[in-house]
Amino acid sequence: MQSINLHVILCAINDFYFELAWIMDSLPQPVLQMHNISKSFGATVALSNVSMSLYPGEVHALVGENGAGKSTLIKIMTGIYQPDSGDIIINGNPTRLHSSAQAQAHGIAAIYQEPLVFPDLNIAENIFISHRRRGFLVNWGKMYRDAKKVLKRLDVDLDVRAQARGLPLAAQQTVEIAKAISMDVRVLIMDEPTASLSAHEVTQLFKIVRNLRAEGVAVLFISHRLEEVFEIADRITIFRDGELISSRPTHEVTREDAIRDMVGRPMGKVFQRQPSEVENVVLSVRDLSHRGKFEGISFDLHAGEVLGFAGLIGSGRTDIALATFGIEPAHDGQIYFDNKPVNIQSPRQAIKMRIAYLPEDRRQHGLVLPMSIAANITLPIMQDYANALGIVQNEKERQTAQDYREKLSIRTPSIDLPVRKLSGGNQQKVVLSKWLNTVPRVLILDEPTRGIDVGAKEEVHRLIDQLAKQGIAIMLISSDLPEVLAMSDRIVVIREGRQMGIFDRATADQEQIMGAAMGQLEMERDHA
Amino acid sequence: MKLLERYPWLRRWETLLFVILCAAVFINISLSEHYFNIDNLANIFHLSIEKAFVVLVMALVIINGEIDLSVASVMGLSASVLAYEFEKGASLESAISYAMLAGLACGLANGFFVAYLNIPSLVVTLAGLIAYRGAARILLEDRSVGNFPEWFTSFALDDVYVSIPTLLFVLVGLILIGTLVYQFTNLRQAVEEGAAFRFRKPGPVGLVLITVLAAVLVYMLALSSGAFEATTYVFAVLYLISLGILQFTNFGRYIYVIGNNRAGAEYAGLRVKQVKMTIFVMSALMAAFAGLMYAARVGNIRANAAEGFELDIITIVLLGGVSIFGGTGTMVGVGLSLLVVLNLRNGMSLRNINDNTRASVIGALLILSVLIPNWAQTIQRFLPRTLSGDNLTLDLENKEARESTETA
Repeated sequence: MQSINLHVILCAINDFYFELAWIMDSLPQPVLQMHNISKSFGATVALSNVSMSLYPGEVHALVGENGAGKSTLIKIMTGIYQPDSGDIIINGNPTRLHSSAQAQAHGIAAIYQEPLVFPDLNIAENIFISHRRRGFLVNWGKMYRDAKKVLKRLDVDLDVRAQARGLPLAAQQTVEIAKAISMDVRVLIMDEPTASLSAHEVTQLFKIVRNLRAEGVAVLFISHRLEEVFEIADRITIFRDGELISSRPTHEVTREDAIRDMVGRPMGKVFQRQPSEVENVVLSVRDLSHRGKFEGISFDLHAGEVLGFAGLIGSGRTDIALATFGIEPAHDGQIYFDNKPVNIQSPRQAIKMRIAYLPEDRRQHGLVLPMSIAANITLPIMQDYANALGIVQNEKERQTAQDYREKLSIRTPSIDLPVRKLSGGNQQKVVLSKWLNTVPRVLILDEPTRGIDVGAKEEVHRLIDQLAKQGIAIMLISSDLPEVLAMSDRIVVIREGRQMGIFDRATADQEQIMGAAMGQLEMERDHA
Repeated sequence: MKLLERYPWLRRWETLLFVILCAAVFINISLSEHYFNIDNLANIFHLSIEKAFVVLVMALVIINGEIDLSVASVMGLSASVLAYEFEKGASLESAISYAMLAGLACGLANGFFVAYLNIPSLVVTLAGLIAYRGAARILLEDRSVGNFPEWFTSFALDDVYVSIPTLLFVLVGLILIGTLVYQFTNLRQAVEEGAAFRFRKPGPVGLVLITVLAAVLVYMLALSSGAFEATTYVFAVLYLISLGILQFTNFGRYIYVIGNNRAGAEYAGLRVKQVKMTIFVMSALMAAFAGLMYAARVGNIRANAAEGFELDIITIVLLGGVSIFGGTGTMVGVGLSLLVVLNLRNGMSLRNINDNTRASVIGALLILSVLIPNWAQTIQRFLPRTLSGDNLTLDLENKEARESTETA
């Protein structure tokens, strides 16, 4: 009996270990582990003791305000920075990455908001641009076949012989992803890939991401848009001030949790603006057209009103703004300012009429990056800061900059700092200061909260509300639908350069506006 | 490194140029007894004064993100127009005005094509370089014209004697100008951003410094009495004016802004086209004026006058720390680089080093002026973190942050 018992027990123990080993084997191994990573720049701690793992076949979202340490972590993962302490473990082996080429050799690749494609090469050439094994001659046939194969794996339809120049941003990104997977990528880092994409393009991108996940690629997804994060991610990791705050499976996290973890304080919903009282019409536009860009645009803009412009990216909203501001004057139609017909041919004329335009591309069109905050703020009305000899009165200029620094709480050690050194949100406040300083009556805001963190975004929203209360007429172009809905009194929806209608805020909802922007209304009408 | 943290201006290109200048002067003194002699020093300027004039405007052109290759041809054309009219029997006064008008026409043409038709200035002014020289050749063919009236050549050739009352007058003027310049300038600011100077009132130390500087200048002026030509003094005044325009006026600010970010300037409502037009006209007018000076100094003019000068001029501007991509650089740097180049040339010719070697040395210096800042950055990247420049800027910001919280 005893021996039998012993045998049974031994068997059981044996089975248990066998089972355990089997379980251990079948547990997924992380493909990339960051272990106690720290990194500081001088006195600034960018990352302190961060540990996280990426598993194959998982979409891992990384969220946090600007400056939370996400970019530093990515740069360490791709070998651009070396950590001060901590280990990078790839497939269980501690590894040191000294360059991005080395990271690539380990199957770690990153794509960014702005794709890095070579415009004069075709898609296939772009995909295979950094392949090491190349003969003396290009085997074009094989390259096109392979490129097609790669794109097929992503389930996208692109002509591999097409030149990269002029491809939409989304297609350029696809090319970059194809480039990465053609090099056998196992970890794909996507740094704000959706920031410049329209809703439809985001859906397409997500389809690709899901394909990659099914192939067992670990995707690290970084985005400022929480809806997207919740839609695509399996796990959400939140960073704040260089520390990892939480890392949980998506179904255990709510939107409110995520925002609270990011900013470290509970936050209300998106700032809700009270509708304003309509005053007299300042600007009215009748049948404005610009060949190839937009046509038949008509709207009235009242003092104290926020008029939202919704639509997909590339639908022509920015072009309407550019025409109103005189950068690309319209070909047809009429603009009335104070009920008088006007012909705005240059930004200078527009500024004289007290129209201001906060451009979509802050860095290219909004700022002179190497110059000081003060110099940037006074730029449009420099002549008011110079004496009869044309000599700039620095005291006056600095006073203005100082005022706006306080009014808009621009966080900077000094107004002499070049704007290049500010965070996105503070840079945007500088551009806003620059235009508020011209005392505008019409303020056109083109994507005013793109790429800025949650806190700064709310500050901008409150500011827009204040400005409207002061009687400034505001045109708000935004691809952030909740933002347009929360901030606008009325919403103009533009689709492919045509005005789909003006919706009242009281009656409009997201589905209705999205439907109009994507042309569903028109289809329904056709059927009816 | 501590030192660099406390005095960021030590990291400026201008500082390095100043060190190079001191080294060049020191070597020249030790190698040749003829060097530190007032006549030789005057000669340094005398032989290149026309180039120096054009350098001043070329700096504005390049900071604005453009280039003007046609300056030497404009110089040649203006000198040729002068010679041609004079040869035909026109009075010199009217010949001078025709020459300046020719310069104006060249400038308008350059400016029109660059600013209003958006053709790259490299192409437009290269065409200008060929076309204006061609015009000069049509006018003078292979003749040589000289025998200008005495009053004209004396401007460039005769030394100016300075009297005691003049000196006193200049002394007062210098103190006034110095105070103004010091008030408006603050080299401590704007390590990388040439345009961001800051207003500061001079303290007692500053006033003493200005006075000493002015006194030294006046003393040198007294010493130099009878050594320098009028053109050199004209250059000094023009230098101060162009420094003032670039650093302290809104026009100067526009030049920097457009050079940095043309699209941004347009979106801010700046008159980009007018600014570019103005600059090209200024450049051609200055070149035409320099062409007249050349005629006055050399005394007879052929169609190939001033040929090849544009390369020297651009070299001096770039060596002065002006970026070929536009947007950065200061007049202080350009002035220093002018002195460096002229002194090196002079020193080498005193040692009988031939012309080709001299050209090679200047070329090498230009390459180094681009390489040294690049190397400095690379070295900083590989130094331990406590020494790196990144850290330095961050510390600098923290220091400013502390200062601003203290004042708040």
